[in-house]
Amino acid sequence: MQLPHAQAAVVETASADEAQSVDDLAAATDLPPETVTGAAFELEEKGLVAVDEHVDETTVLTDEGREYVDDGLPEVRLYEAAVAAGADDDPAPMGQVIGASDLEGPQVDIALSNYARKGYGAIESGEITADPDADPDADPEAEALVALAESDDASGLGDDVVDQLERRDLVERRETTVREVVVTERGVTELMAGIETAETVGQVTPELLTSGEWEDVEFAEYNVEADAERVDGGKVHILRQTAERVKDVLVGMGFQEMEGPHVDADFWINDCLFMPQDHPARTHWDRFALENPTEIDHLPADLVERVERAHREGVGEDGEGYHSPWDEDFARALALRGHTTSLSARYLSGEEIGELEPPQRFFSVEKVYRNDTLDPTHLLEFFQIEGWVMAEDLSVRDLMGTFEEFYAQFGITDIEFKPHYNPYTEPSFELFGTHPTTGELVEIGNSGIFRPEMLEPLGVDCDVMAWGLALERLLMLMYGFEDIRDIHGTLCDLQLLRDTEVTY
Amino acid sequence: MPTVDVDPDELRELTGHEEKSDDELIDDLFGLGLEFEGRTEEGTFELEFAPDRLDRLSVEGVARSLRYQYGDARGVSVPSTNSPEWTIEVDESVPDERPYVTGAVIRGVDLDEDALDSLIQLQEKLHATMGRQRAKGAIGIHDLTMLKGRDALRASDRSSGDEPRDGPATEGEPTIRYVGVDPDGDRFVPLDSDQEMTPAEVLENHQTGEKYADLVRDYDRYPAIYDDLGLFSFPPVINGRRTEVSTDSRELFVEMTGTDQWTIDKMLNVVCYALAARGATIEEVTVEYPDEELVRPDLSTKTKTVSHDRVETILGIDLDPEEVVDLAERAGLEATAGENEAGEVVYEVTIPPYRVDVLHAVDVIDDLGRAYGFNELEPKYPDVGTVGGRHERSRLEDAARNLLVGLGFEDLLNFHMISEAENYERLDLEAGDDAYGAGEPATIKEPYSEDYTMLRTWVLPSLLMVLENNTHRAYPQNLAEIGFAAHVDESENTKVAERRSVGAVLAHHDAAYEDARASLQALARNFDVDLETSATDHPTFIDGRTAAVVIDGEEVGVIGEVHPKVLVEHDLEVPVAAFEFDLEALR
Repeated sequence: MQLPHAQAAVVETASADEAQSVDDLAAATDLPPETVTGAAFELEEKGLVAVDEHVDETTVLTDEGREYVDDGLPEVRLYEAAVAAGADDDPAPMGQVIGASDLEGPQVDIALSNYARKGYGAIESGEITADPDADPDADPEAEALVALAESDDASGLGDDVVDQLERRDLVERRETTVREVVVTERGVTELMAGIETAETVGQVTPELLTSGEWEDVEFAEYNVEADAERVDGGKVHILRQTAERVKDVLVGMGFQEMEGPHVDADFWINDCLFMPQDHPARTHWDRFALENPTEIDHLPADLVERVERAHREGVGEDGEGYHSPWDEDFARALALRGHTTSLSARYLSGEEIGELEPPQRFFSVEKVYRNDTLDPTHLLEFFQIEGWVMAEDLSVRDLMGTFEEFYAQFGITDIEFKPHYNPYTEPSFELFGTHPTTGELVEIGNSGIFRPEMLEPLGVDCDVMAWGLALERLLMLMYGFEDIRDIHGTLCDLQLLRDTEVTY
Repeated sequence: MPTVDVDPDELRELTGHEEKSDDELIDDLFGLGLEFEGRTEEGTFELEFAPDRLDRLSVEGVARSLRYQYGDARGVSVPSTNSPEWTIEVDESVPDERPYVTGAVIRGVDLDEDALDSLIQLQEKLHATMGRQRAKGAIGIHDLTMLKGRDALRASDRSSGDEPRDGPATEGEPTIRYVGVDPDGDRFVPLDSDQEMTPAEVLENHQTGEKYADLVRDYDRYPAIYDDLGLFSFPPVINGRRTEVSTDSRELFVEMTGTDQWTIDKMLNVVCYALAARGATIEEVTVEYPDEELVRPDLSTKTKTVSHDRVETILGIDLDPEEVVDLAERAGLEATAGENEAGEVVYEVTIPPYRVDVLHAVDVIDDLGRAYGFNELEPKYPDVGTVGGRHERSRLEDAARNLLVGLGFEDLLNFHMISEAENYERLDLEAGDDAYGAGEPATIKEPYSEDYTMLRTWVLPSLLMVLENNTHRAYPQNLAEIGFAAHVDESENTKVAERRSVGAVLAHHDAAYEDARASLQALARNFDVDLETSATDHPTFIDGRTAAVVIDGEEVGVIGEVHPKVLVEHDLEVPVAAFEFDLEALR
């Protein structure tokens, strides 16, 4: 029969009469012991050998123990130095004795702690005495050490002494599994019939496969446990992955994606949202006004008129407007959008994809721009998740139910609704959720039902509820990032991006 | 978010709930929407407020709201007022930019330290919010006993040099006059100073004057208020020292000037309610405009008609009319149920004069919801069927991004804002060059940071910045971004052409044109478009190793080996091959 090289060597070397240990076989075959063990088990499976296992206990010296075999136990050396200093008659000064003993460092403490225990003498007030009757030559610990230096079998020694040596870290007890191999009758038969060594090959080749040779070859073993060289490959950006996930969830909930300009007229960004023109958020420090170009070309004139009227007079019979100036030039001014609610306004107005009939659900996950201070949690530009539902007769309960479903998809539960104020929604709520890992209550979004002063000019005569949330906030909540600048922007750390766990 | 400081002891005293612990108060305040942010050094609460309920900008207003919440107060309460004795006469010389004034006299006020601090804070917070940093409305509070009003001087006559004339103020009626003066037309001693200054000097030499100088600098005449003794207030900048309010003041004159009568009248109402809560008596003031006479404060209520059906729809619950009336009273409103012409239940809801935020019936419904407790409502998923879907552009972007990732590129996400230096100069480009990426920039007005002054016109500069910041990381660094880029284009409605650009760089020791070409080919092949690369020049790339990306016959981008001077500029020590083109070309 053909056997791989190692198996052939083991079965040929082992004997049918006498069990041989793996170590012996390894020495005889010149194979590593683990290869012999592996081969022996494979041969056992084929019924060619029997493997017997038992556990042996051995006691071996530690490095420290071996040192004491050569130099003597520290307490013995201390005793000998003490006797030499005459401490068997009169107490001798400690410093002098230790100096004479050549003991150094921790050995001094070891010597002192064992000296009295073994009755070699006493140490008191910096002086040392030696018991003249003590016999260091008969020290059982020293004798046991010498014996164990010659043989790792401790069975002839007193357990107490070996225990004591183990406590002193001078010896170590080890249990080893000894495997012994003996050739079976079937093995003998096969040996008689003749065993051939199969060839080993490095790689599967087309010739090997087409010739059928693969059936008779042995494949050289690899070190399958070793690390391979690192490859990074490509990966979708972690924030993008999070955005994709949000989009998937929203599409699953029946939302359609919106799309529109980043540079837009303040009309769409703010005026259509019933934001008074003197609102603090519309002053320079919050918004990125454009220096060039400055003004939008065209706004729908009738819509501009309706929006202006809503700002000045409000809507409805007893509605009131703002007591704020309203200027079309300001409405035409271009800026980077501060929120993607500008897209909602464009879609609701019918200007984007035509008039919308309820029910509708729309969303976007797109960049917005805020003139804020850069810090670990604030960027000048970030992604806003914007979503809205248009239907007849929506209540705040519908709004709450929608958010619970949405946030539950990201492991954020126990949503709390804090009544809040927004110029373009009423009622309005700040949303708080429980952090999935820290358990903290954190703000996760802003929401509400669009005001009639926003909807009527846009030509919407049913209810629309909406909400917004920073995607980066969701990412940080979900994955615990502490500085968003490591992730988003040109200061990003490629290693961090390469090493970041994927999301799903 | 703005905050207001509230002393918990004062809150206990003004609500009459001495038994409330600080923690209980914090909970109750959260219920009002006032979030506890922390404590000041003196131990008072710092509360975050939403900028709608400006009547809660002081401890008196917060206490009033709590009393409604506790059920200690119900319905609408309006303080009584005494008939006017004083007149504010508005002179024709008043600057056109700031024509409006209002005022009230407060008598019998007991101003201890706490009450004075609260009044000062209320004034500051009203300035910051409704007053729009004093531009729209500015408050001046004076010690009435320091004013002499029997025979107010004709200040405008003095400043303009006109002949004295008869004013509408009659003999015996105490009068102060709101006028316009030449910037250097008169002198007074402002607060926090012991020197006489002209208004113009105040703007130059006084700390507060400098701060608010921009509000009046362009005026021909500066606003000023006079009594018999002379100029005592320079709104909206600073009061005179003569009428300064102290803890000894028992009678006050409150005046407000601004650009809108309604706004300053409402600010005045908030102040009057706060002082009335401290036991003061409000006395009306006559405001005499050249063509009109007003009596202020205007503490009249207004009404909103609210339909029962809308209340039920928005809250999503069934309610009896009695419950709605009860909720209204608990919210500090008053509601009377009736029927409209269609026979539906409607409420006439009375709104107290300190409320500035009730514009529409929905604001009343929000109040009813708060009184009911929004968190008592059971969430439900709306029973509305719609079909979801992605925008075509976003699907296109994803498909291209997946291919790039499959080709081994690390997907990046960079800022859309950049500086001119990064976008052009460091890539050896000039804005307006006839080269890909050199379009005219859409620029930010008065940029906050010199690193973010425009929208990037292409993404390659961002990718090179990432390479520059990661030279200590392992190579190869093959990076790609499908991202936003924009440039000025007069033919667009917004004058800005916005696009998604596909940019990629390959940086490693033997990166070459061919590597970039291979990835570009793979993209083109997968989208089934015709790709040609025709030799071209581009300052960012090495001559002879640069081509225009031509897809389906149209020039849409650039490909090449990045020029060594650009590499060195970015501290790069490896070759970089790159390409960039418009995503739309793959459509």
